[in-house]
Amino acid sequence: MSEKVVYLLGLLVVGGVISYLLRALPFMLFGSGRKPPAVIGYIGRVLAPAIIAMLVVYCFVGYVKDGCLASGLHGGAEIIAALVTVGLHLWRRNPLLSIGVATAVYMFLVR
Amino acid sequence: MASEVRERSLVAQTFVASLPVLTGYSTMGFASGVLLALNGGVEFSALWAGLTSALFISGPLQFLLVDWVKNGTAYVDVAILIICLNVRYSLYGLSLLDRFKAASLPVRLYLIGVVTDETYALQMSCPYPPGQKGTLYCLLLGAFDHAYWILGVVAGAAIGSALPFEAKGIDFAMTSLFIVILVDQVRERANRAPALIGFLAATVAALGMYFLFGSSKMLIPAMMLIVGGLLVCRRWLDRPSESQAGSAGEGASK
Repeated sequence: MSEKVVYLLGLLVVGGVISYLLRALPFMLFGSGRKPPAVIGYIGRVLAPAIIAMLVVYCFVGYVKDGCLASGLHGGAEIIAALVTVGLHLWRRNPLLSIGVATAVYMFLVR
Repeated sequence: MASEVRERSLVAQTFVASLPVLTGYSTMGFASGVLLALNGGVEFSALWAGLTSALFISGPLQFLLVDWVKNGTAYVDVAILIICLNVRYSLYGLSLLDRFKAASLPVRLYLIGVVTDETYALQMSCPYPPGQKGTLYCLLLGAFDHAYWILGVVAGAAIGSALPFEAKGIDFAMTSLFIVILVDQVRERANRAPALIGFLAATVAALGMYFLFGSSKMLIPAMMLIVGGLLVCRRWLDRPSESQAGSAGEGASK
């Protein structure tokens, strides 16, 4: 087996087990009607928006690292495509349209 | 048979209810599958697409997977990121406890495993009280949504690996997906401060790791900063009606 296949098998186990446990946790812990601590409820409500914002930053850090943002020719491609995404999504609220058009714009700009 | 007709109409009813999810999941899954085939650099990508999508059942994870496979990201980093991204599913489970109570054990185990944002929303608006019919309704919804997702991802990977050209720049779909999710989230006022904390923490972590260690690994320190920041800001951000038991009656209207 190639290294990548072994890695993917491990990823499948790690990701699968954690994904399932996260969904099953409340049924295991609170199945008998016990109340969860308030801080858990709070973190569960506010963590997702914070993590998604982090992932947006993470994507752009990747572009800076690859030298895309810095290089003069298509330096603005990421920013333009990001603005297209935001603009379209605020306007039409259609995820497929926003992502599809923005990705097409980006692919055109970096060609 | 009358009951058979009713069952068939229940199937039709759940299918219609799940149609918006069909368009969303199949196309989003398709995009992530294409990306895996083009950029993952792994053979039999349709097989991997099927296995991962069936078990992870998460859009962001399906896109991030491509990066993980490409870079060989450490399992610990993967695990922490999944926990932070999906801890909200634990909360969904809390409000589904009663709804799934009538289900037999195998059905309940499956229902627990296939919870997503969209499936949860549909199950919470189930028109039947918890019981045999309500359980069947939730089970069909969960299975439909699960199938749409898997089929979309597998189809994307199959077609992506048959593409004769290299689609440079298609990886922007992931960035674009996160931006779309973020825009949707900050429409709600309560999500704005947490999103700002996430943005600031990630920026600080990225700059800090780069200038202190010359490293571009930012996610783990960023997530530590985020959890710390959220806990510090809890007194301002936590909804008072839900933190105190005394006002339980008022909280119900929210």
